[in-house]
Amino acid sequence: MPSATVNSRRPIELLSRLASDEPEVKVRALREVKNQIIGNRTKKLSFLKLGAVPAVAGILADSADDVMDSNCDNNNVNNILVQSATVLGSFACGFDAGVQAVLDAGAFLNLLRLLSNSNEKVVDAGARALRMIYQSKLAPKYDFLQRKNMEFLISLLNSENENVSGLGASIITHSCKTSLEQKALFDAGILRKLDSLLEGGSLSQRDASLESIAAIFKNNPEVISKFAGPEIGRPLSSVIDLVKDRYPRTRLLACMCLIVIRNTSPHFLQDLGIKTTLIHILLELLDDPGQVGYEAPFAFSSLIAQREDIQKLALEANAIDKLHHHLQKGPLHPRHYEGILLALADMCSKLESCRSKFLSLQVLNLVTDALTDNSADVRTAACICLKSVTRSIKVAALGAICNVVVDFTTRKSIFIQCGGIKQLVELAKSMESAVRSNALWALKNFVFLADNRLKEDVFSELTASMLSSLICDPEPCVQEQALALVRNLVDGYINSIEFVFAEDGLILGAIGRQLQSSSKAEIGIQGMYALCNVASGNEFHKEAVMHQLFPQTGDKNQSYMIKFLLSNDSQLRTATVWTIVNLTCPSSPGASGRLEKLRNAGIVSQLKNMVNDSCVDVKLRVRTVLGQSMGFGDN
Amino acid sequence: MSLFWIAIRQLAEIEEQMATSKKVITREEWEKRLNDIKIRKEDMNKLVMNFLVTEGYVEAAEKFRIESGAEPDIDLATITDRMAVKRAVQCGNVEDAIEKVNDLNPEILDTNPQLFFHLQQQRLIELIRNGKVEEALEFAQEELAPRGEENQSFLEELERTVSLLAFEDVSNCPVGELLDISQRLKTANEVNAAILTSQSHEKDPKLPSLLKMLIWAQNQLDEKAAYPRINDLSNATLEDPAV
Repeated sequence: MPSATVNSRRPIELLSRLASDEPEVKVRALREVKNQIIGNRTKKLSFLKLGAVPAVAGILADSADDVMDSNCDNNNVNNILVQSATVLGSFACGFDAGVQAVLDAGAFLNLLRLLSNSNEKVVDAGARALRMIYQSKLAPKYDFLQRKNMEFLISLLNSENENVSGLGASIITHSCKTSLEQKALFDAGILRKLDSLLEGGSLSQRDASLESIAAIFKNNPEVISKFAGPEIGRPLSSVIDLVKDRYPRTRLLACMCLIVIRNTSPHFLQDLGIKTTLIHILLELLDDPGQVGYEAPFAFSSLIAQREDIQKLALEANAIDKLHHHLQKGPLHPRHYEGILLALADMCSKLESCRSKFLSLQVLNLVTDALTDNSADVRTAACICLKSVTRSIKVAALGAICNVVVDFTTRKSIFIQCGGIKQLVELAKSMESAVRSNALWALKNFVFLADNRLKEDVFSELTASMLSSLICDPEPCVQEQALALVRNLVDGYINSIEFVFAEDGLILGAIGRQLQSSSKAEIGIQGMYALCNVASGNEFHKEAVMHQLFPQTGDKNQSYMIKFLLSNDSQLRTATVWTIVNLTCPSSPGASGRLEKLRNAGIVSQLKNMVNDSCVDVKLRVRTVLGQSMGFGDN
Repeated sequence: MSLFWIAIRQLAEIEEQMATSKKVITREEWEKRLNDIKIRKEDMNKLVMNFLVTEGYVEAAEKFRIESGAEPDIDLATITDRMAVKRAVQCGNVEDAIEKVNDLNPEILDTNPQLFFHLQQQRLIELIRNGKVEEALEFAQEELAPRGEENQSFLEELERTVSLLAFEDVSNCPVGELLDISQRLKTANEVNAAILTSQSHEKDPKLPSLLKMLIWAQNQLDEKAAYPRINDLSNATLEDPAV
């Protein structure tokens, strides 16, 4: 049907009809609102903004009063009560803004009043709405310690009506926090009642009971021992049976209940069979579509956290493969994503075997993708996961990290936030040379083309003295990486060059010493490029480089420069010539003086021999130098 | 003897045979063994009642209850409501179905985003089927698009459905199967199952599982013996073993 009907269903129109005096119009409008908002979060939001909740709460309040008035048409009144309570319940269903609005509108007490109504449907609607409220953390705290309240709670649990007894259980799950409350509930015989619901109740009653039982047991070994008694068997056995129930949500809640018991009183449920069952069931539940699948990894985490024995069992059950499989199936709901990442983090928190498995499956790439996810929770979980995996001293892990950090700025700042730099610097102090070398490699990549602030952060963590001692490390591979790190540090912005001058030129001196003593080409290359970058600076910088290249104390007049120029390694020759280019750049005032020194050391004549060097880079740069030198009126 | 009895006895007998290792069993032998198996009438009645209730045959269930004394495990009144919902979807009156489900149990659609999405999807399909293109466009924008925003996993199906709007000849387009009656039945079954679950009732009747078990068991025994088989479930006649 065309526009007329469509317009009359628009939210604003509906709200005005809610205010009608005619009960039939009111009921129809309420039903219309109800049918529009159920299942529809977007509509709930728009109705909320228009003030629907106070309007409906007002109707509920008026009608609740009308019930007392015997002149009123009960049928109509009941209809209005049912529909308005249902609307409020729907606003509160899984929607915190809705819960808040319902509470702010003062509907809570009126909903409670509905529980004592004679009409079953009215009671249902009221109980449902209250149950929705109690599933949110925003629900009002229930004071179990007051006798009146405890009695009311017991009456709820004893009700034949599923929704009402379910409400009782929801209240316990929501509000039972302290051990005092747990004891009070136990003393009032609530646990026995809940256990009977486990055995003989309906699906929703069983689920609600499982949650409540977990709430009463949580962190309270005394209550657990009282309840389970010397014969652990009976009450716990109902929960254990439900782990294999046909409904996924029931299985999940049963697992969570057992995990609470086990984490509170570890001597219970030591049986290997139970541990294995829990692992298998939870891993299976990961596949379940919807809420159950999203919550399963969190339950899994609580099972394995800090518990090496269970982590080992889980590894054997292919937990990491399964979690990996889920990461591969994108796109993931944020909650699911977060849960899987945290589960992986817990799996890899202690056991080297788990970390190896993680790396061998190449899960790392998927985890680093998560570093740039829209959800902050997902990003945090990814960092926690990475931290967990990199506790390994395995070189492979670091190798992977190196590839991670070359990337974009966002990833870099997150890496820092997660203490990644601190960790890498720690690793650079390792006893194992391979670890030191890889840590430096990662840091080198990290500062590549990074902005100055990032470089300063890294440098302040590393310190000049540590870096210079790494340059002079006993192992050549470490020396090479350290020099490469310096090269990247001083590259770019002219202020970066100052790093090598820190603490009286510690680093610059170390470079010079290393170039002097080393025979390996790789070290020469990195060291030379580092000097080359320094030489691209101002007068002071260039002179400082000269000082390193031609140390005053020299019986050996031949600088290692000649050695490098004569090297078979073209990269080394290139690096050396580039340095000379920078030192003799005509725009600098001291260029001619430096050129003179170079000539005296026989370097210029050596260069003349290289005008036809086999390497193009070398050839071109040599010609540049010679061209520059012509400008000083020579040859 | 009812076909049902035959099938159940067959199953019980096979399970016994699996334990022994006979090669060929004649019909005479087989039937003799079948006769020795005791099946309780009450169990049979329960199975029948379970089937009638789950499939929604209210009047039949009511009559059966009176004539056999078997008690249904749920309130027959709720079956009527549930069947009304199922029929509404099967007839394409999705809006009506939604209203009925919400009257029955407002939590079902509030806690079942996938079901809700499929119902909205069906509404769109019906609008397109009836040629109400403008209304369909408006509906897609106002009602379906938000579902995709709320939940990314719906996006693919959403796109498929909306693409129906792009075709002149909808019955011959790549997503044309959405207009099939089978799509309505799919949605109807989904709603039916959700209602049954909310009533803590199993969504599938037991009888089909039993028959599946029979077929499987026969296949298993085939490897060990030749015996009279039931090949046609609808008449449950024993066919002689191949010699």
